Amino acid sequence: MNKFRLIALTLVLALILPLGVVSAQDGPVTLRVLIHQNPPMVEFIEEFNARFTEANPNITVDLSVVNANDLATVTQTRLSAGDIDVIDIFGFSNSVQPYMSGATPPNWQVMIEAGLLLDLTDQPFLANYDPVSIQDSGMYNDTVYAINLGRVVYSGIYYNKDMFTEFGVEIPTTWDELVAACEVFTAEGIGCMTAGGADGWPIFVGAYGLLGSLFPDQAAYVEGLWTGDIKFNDEQSMVMWERMQIYARDMMERGASGIPGDAAPGRFASGAVAMFPGGSWYASAIESAEPDFDWGYIPFPGSDVVEDNQGWFGKYDQGWAIAAGSPNVEAALLYLEAFSEPENYQAFVDAVGFIPTQPTATLNTKIGGEIAQYLDNFRVGYEQYWVAPTGVGQWASPFASFFAPFNEWDDAAALADRAQSDLQSGLDEVSGS
Amino acid sequence: MTYPFGRGWQRVTPYLLLAPGLLLYFLIALGPSLATSLYSFTDASGVAGAPVNFIGLENYREFLFAGQAARDNIDALGRTIIFSVVVSSAQFGLGLLVAILLTQQLPGTRFFRTLFFMPVILGVVIQGLIWRLFLYPLGGPASKIVEMFGGYSEFLGSTDAFWWVIFVQIWANMGITMIIFIAGLQTISVDLYEAANIDGASAWQRFRFVTWPLLTPSVNTNLILNIIGSLQAWQLFLVLTGYRQGTQVLGYVIYAQGFGQTSGSVSNAFRQGYAAAASIVLFFLVLIIGMTAQYVLRRREERLLG
Repeated sequence: MNKFRLIALTLVLALILPLGVVSAQDGPVTLRVLIHQNPPMVEFIEEFNARFTEANPNITVDLSVVNANDLATVTQTRLSAGDIDVIDIFGFSNSVQPYMSGATPPNWQVMIEAGLLLDLTDQPFLANYDPVSIQDSGMYNDTVYAINLGRVVYSGIYYNKDMFTEFGVEIPTTWDELVAACEVFTAEGIGCMTAGGADGWPIFVGAYGLLGSLFPDQAAYVEGLWTGDIKFNDEQSMVMWERMQIYARDMMERGASGIPGDAAPGRFASGAVAMFPGGSWYASAIESAEPDFDWGYIPFPGSDVVEDNQGWFGKYDQGWAIAAGSPNVEAALLYLEAFSEPENYQAFVDAVGFIPTQPTATLNTKIGGEIAQYLDNFRVGYEQYWVAPTGVGQWASPFASFFAPFNEWDDAAALADRAQSDLQSGLDEVSGS
Repeated sequence: MTYPFGRGWQRVTPYLLLAPGLLLYFLIALGPSLATSLYSFTDASGVAGAPVNFIGLENYREFLFAGQAARDNIDALGRTIIFSVVVSSAQFGLGLLVAILLTQQLPGTRFFRTLFFMPVILGVVIQGLIWRLFLYPLGGPASKIVEMFGGYSEFLGSTDAFWWVIFVQIWANMGITMIIFIAGLQTISVDLYEAANIDGASAWQRFRFVTWPLLTPSVNTNLILNIIGSLQAWQLFLVLTGYRQGTQVLGYVIYAQGFGQTSGSVSNAFRQGYAAAASIVLFFLVLIIGMTAQYVLRRREERLLG
């Protein structure tokens, strides 16, 4: 064999051998998984990954955890770089509706249309999930791109049972009762409510309940705002703004605007305040802070009518999707299949407190028990429907965090007029008038 | 005049030596800048593989003229200028004062130089977290101090948050200004001060007629760095206040639009073409202010130092 042939053979072998290694499915695989920060979820997934690797010794899971606010950015970056296999994706929401002219489609839709997410439609593990949840949160153009792992409620209030008993306060079921309860605690020198205002959004999470009890059909509410049938300064909206102001100014304890989001559950559990409006995902943090603390969870009573306050508003939370360009698709599908096994899924919802999307799973957690009584009346909330028209001003949204002390507004009527004017500006822009 | 590098390889060598630096500059600085300006004429989302369409000046029209959002953008531009003026002036004045104090023959100057420079070496996130803890309104150190005087503040949770971010920005960057001034002060010959003393100059006259003119190169460097740095600053807003209505500067608007962070909770659509147009507007703002400042400062330098 002359020198030329030897070099050619070496080159050919060098090209072929690695291909053989990559294509061998029983070879070592590093499965790259991305999730958002949620302490009980991270803890569970680390344990699950260890079990998964034990059952599949050729697969090592490389888990990345990012802040929830950064999830979309990191997902996009790593998908673009081909650097991720399994991604944590929130339930599909904020779809552009036919009446939303000129609106920008949400990120998940752009990613699907760009061919970045794998088609999961024919995967057998989908049968483990409630078809409605798949339809609502992981399907686009009749194709399934994500499985959703659970719903969360964000329209409730945690309350301190011992404190309510001590001061003889009944659990509020209407707005007036809530105002009266707060007056009792405030008179006793106890803050009525707290929230993680330093992070901005936790202040208005509770206010979604107020919004929902006054506008129960949130999809119709969003459509009404777009079509002009509902205005931010009409009679019903004025009730909302006036109550939002009371919520922000009188119900929240002094200093709530400076409390970090992850510190608020601990402050409530310490007994510093009587109530804590927040999402069901805070339950595990409250339990971790004070395991013996006795708390309950009620719908935010924003309406004067008891029946209007007997339901939850929330969203589809975390789900799984697979990068279409992943070189480890088989391992990724295996991962989702294992995760979807009923016993693993049950352990997951027990750990994180999600409302299950697998019909065979049960609500075993304390927060699950609290939510269960009104679970038949669970509705997706405003945040998941709203898409802003192009050119809309910054105040065109119904959030309590705009009021002092969290922000600059101290007159409900003035804010309502400004919110409507900011909204109308965007509507005029998209209609070309 | 003969060419200084000879002939043949000797003539090519300087260009070869410059090549790696130029290549890096094109790849890391000029390339992305040019790409940003091209992006600003498209509806790019930033999602790989998504279609990108040329839409002409639509992003600029939307940013500057479309509805109330455009007026909010102009407000953000105004806040950016206020932020820049206050930060640049205060950082300059404090940096100069501290540099003069720390170049005197006083005990502990090395320690204080390190202390004042230390914030510079911390990342923005660390700087922000330190001040979030310090300004915690329910029993944090700053809260205790204010309460000692019978006052109360929600600090970063109040409508004064914008001014607290300015304060932290100055704290975080004053060290660089100080170090540049110290370097400038150390180049001034002691003989000049001795001569001024013999002539009976007061401390103020020594500063006014010796230090200040001879510090001109440092003054110019600091002013330009402070102005450009503060016009582009936004990261501390992200860490300290988040995207809150009525407080954003232009840099934060660009980030929030580009990466779907405008609602405060849910992640909205990425609008990187629009964000690119906003960043080109910011670029021209920096360019106009920076060039004007440089022109004025250079004229002053020529007048003072010849």
